Amino acid sequence: MTISFILNGEDVSANTRSVDRLSDILRERFGLLGVRSDCRCGRCGRCLVFLNGRLVPSCIVPAFAAKGKEIITIEGYALTEDYIDITEGFKDAGVATCGFCDASKIMATAALLEHTPRPSPEQILDQLSSAPCRCTDPEAVVKAVQAVAERRSKRLYHRAL
Amino acid sequence: MRSSNVHFPKDLAEALDVLHRQPGILIFAGGTDILREQGGRGIALPEDVLYVRDLPELRRAGLTERFLEIGAAVTVSELLELGNAALPPLLSETAYGIGSSAIRNLATVGGNIACRSRFMDLWPVLACLDALVELRDQGGATWMNVNRLVSENGKPAFPEGGLLTRVRVPIEHWDAYLVRKVGLSDYPAPETALFSFAARAEKGILVELRIAFAGELAIRSQALESGIIGRSLPLSQRECAQFAESYRELASALSEGLALQFVALVGGAFELLAR
Repeated sequence: MTISFILNGEDVSANTRSVDRLSDILRERFGLLGVRSDCRCGRCGRCLVFLNGRLVPSCIVPAFAAKGKEIITIEGYALTEDYIDITEGFKDAGVATCGFCDASKIMATAALLEHTPRPSPEQILDQLSSAPCRCTDPEAVVKAVQAVAERRSKRLYHRAL
Repeated sequence: MRSSNVHFPKDLAEALDVLHRQPGILIFAGGTDILREQGGRGIALPEDVLYVRDLPELRRAGLTERFLEIGAAVTVSELLELGNAALPPLLSETAYGIGSSAIRNLATVGGNIACRSRFMDLWPVLACLDALVELRDQGGATWMNVNRLVSENGKPAFPEGGLLTRVRVPIEHWDAYLVRKVGLSDYPAPETALFSFAARAEKGILVELRIAFAGELAIRSQALESGIIGRSLPLSQRECAQFAESYRELASALSEGLALQFVALVGGAFELLAR
């Protein structure tokens, strides 16, 4: 079947079968290698994408479920100012994530701040359960996300002036 | 691996028409339960699949004076977004404990209830709340108590041939409640289950009591609950121990580990009524 959807802001189509995972289609048909497909059961978080604005593990989404929807991968998100807030905010807080989890932590932080501009530590830890990795102390990640939230709100405030 | 025919109905009437013509078709919404155990390269699905995730009739949720009504394709995240003012605490605590936040964005309320391989986390809570589910086919709608979705041997018994469209949760006040996940895994496994308890008192008398426990098997005894309702509160320590003991026989269907935890949780729940 041929499905059409919006991928990182562009209208695209793909010929898929029901057996195809969304993560595989994104990697193999569209060359979006920031989307990994490691655990294939939705646990590792390396395949996180925004599907109609919601963060989902694309390895447990069949490609057909993308029909008519909008998908943003880390490649698309990296072109936004919010992405810079997150990477710079993490850097300022002295948090260096590893190659395993950096994209997923960025996507999880982005999803959280979109709906919760001032998240509590509990909300941050809950959100980052979608991007599990032991490379960084959870307390440090909480502080880093709070720093990102601060940086982002300042930028949005200055833009509004 | 063979590819399936995926049907994308535009509305409920079309979905029911497909279901009528192909009663054995796989109904697919979030797909988390179907895909979580398929770690291979491709996804194995039956020959025909009915994709209902985007049906507008199944995506609504709201509050009336007497009920919380949830469309079957509402995700667990969307359910939580209704807020604590709309959700019974038992339900919000349970929903918050389901998977990671990204899984909750995919998993639907209907999928959690209609799972046939085991009881998922929402069942014991909805059983405690005496929730109803609406099953639709071309002949019309049937409302069924969640407690009836269990076979005689305690296994899931979701009816074949109908489409789960809505869940209706009565709005009631509870004076005491407890919900606990049992087992070490965050994901459904043989030794995971969920315990749910709710009680209400009026003028120092226990007027409502509900206890449900479910994992691979479901446990709820309205006969035992009826035997305890009507007692004066607070319960004495002796009564707490006696009532907890009365649940031990029910637990014999469970594995030893789950049975021990179930009886301990029943005891803990009655302790709440002893204060």
